Amino acid sequence: MKINVVKRVLNANDLVAQDNRKKFKQAQVLAVNFISSPGSGKTTLLEKTIQKLLPDEKSIALVGDLQTTRDAERLAPGALQATQINTGMSCHLYANQVADALKTLPLAKADYLFIENVGNMVCPGEFDLGENLKVVLLSIPEGDDKVAKYPTIFRAADLVLITKIDLMGALSFDLKRIQDDLAKLNANVPLIQLSSLKGDGMVPWIQWLKAQRRKGIGAQAKFVTEE
Amino acid sequence: MHEMSIAQGMIEQIEKIAQDYDAIRVTKVEIETGILRQVIADVMQTAFQAVSEGTLAEGSLLELREVPALAECRKCKMSFEPEIDNFLCPQCHLADVKILQGDEIILKSMECDSKEKKETHEN
Repeated sequence: MKINVVKRVLNANDLVAQDNRKKFKQAQVLAVNFISSPGSGKTTLLEKTIQKLLPDEKSIALVGDLQTTRDAERLAPGALQATQINTGMSCHLYANQVADALKTLPLAKADYLFIENVGNMVCPGEFDLGENLKVVLLSIPEGDDKVAKYPTIFRAADLVLITKIDLMGALSFDLKRIQDDLAKLNANVPLIQLSSLKGDGMVPWIQWLKAQRRKGIGAQAKFVTEE
Repeated sequence: MHEMSIAQGMIEQIEKIAQDYDAIRVTKVEIETGILRQVIADVMQTAFQAVSEGTLAEGSLLELREVPALAECRKCKMSFEPEIDNFLCPQCHLADVKILQGDEIILKSMECDSKEKKETHEN
């Protein structure tokens, strides 16, 4: 017999991600997925961000890395909790790893859940974790051709952060090229330039984050399909 | 290698549907993959084979058809086929689009052996 189905295939990961998103909404937490290549400054940015949000707003950090608990140790001061997920050979986080971690996180006490994905610009874009927003980082040393080279992740970005701008003069980096390439993919995506180390750009970044929390609770990240 | 995760979800849906129809075996599965999902056909075949082992769909034939992308400009409402690295509307040169087609994976149909004689169901 032939059965005509015509149903969207939800991968196993999406179903868990939807469940995670419900939990974030229940707890009134804004969940942000940080995606970039290794070494673009995700952890340093989060260290400073968690501190800057205090004392009014509290954060939980969930960090994915192949190995070590170094990032969680770095993020623990100031965070309600910092939990490391070691992914072994996997180059991205799965929704069920986040779901497992949620069992031990004080979600109800938090305002933000910062998920630092494994450093990679390809696979993390394909796996919804249940986040409300995707923030994509690109640091000056990586070069100004990366938006064109990794279009899918930049199309899915809710915010693009250009990091390590204190190195702008030392390295050749054409910001106009980034803006032009982004314009072909994601016209309205905001772009903030910052230096976590020197503090430039931290004010607009924190303002953006707080504004998102006010309006973004329960939202789903761009281009995430939901039943 | 997101094909494995997609195949996993697909098999769960397939088994559930097959059980609803009292099928004893799935012989053929037809899917459409949107080009924006960047599913590689060969990898998908291998993944499907691997995850279908021990299920009602073990040994079934997977037919895969790639669907082109279609975007609609939010400003002028023109629809056009975007490139993976270029979503600019040809009319107003702005990349602010709604994706109409090409970002989904659709399970189109399944062929199954049932206990009873052959019949066609639609829903």
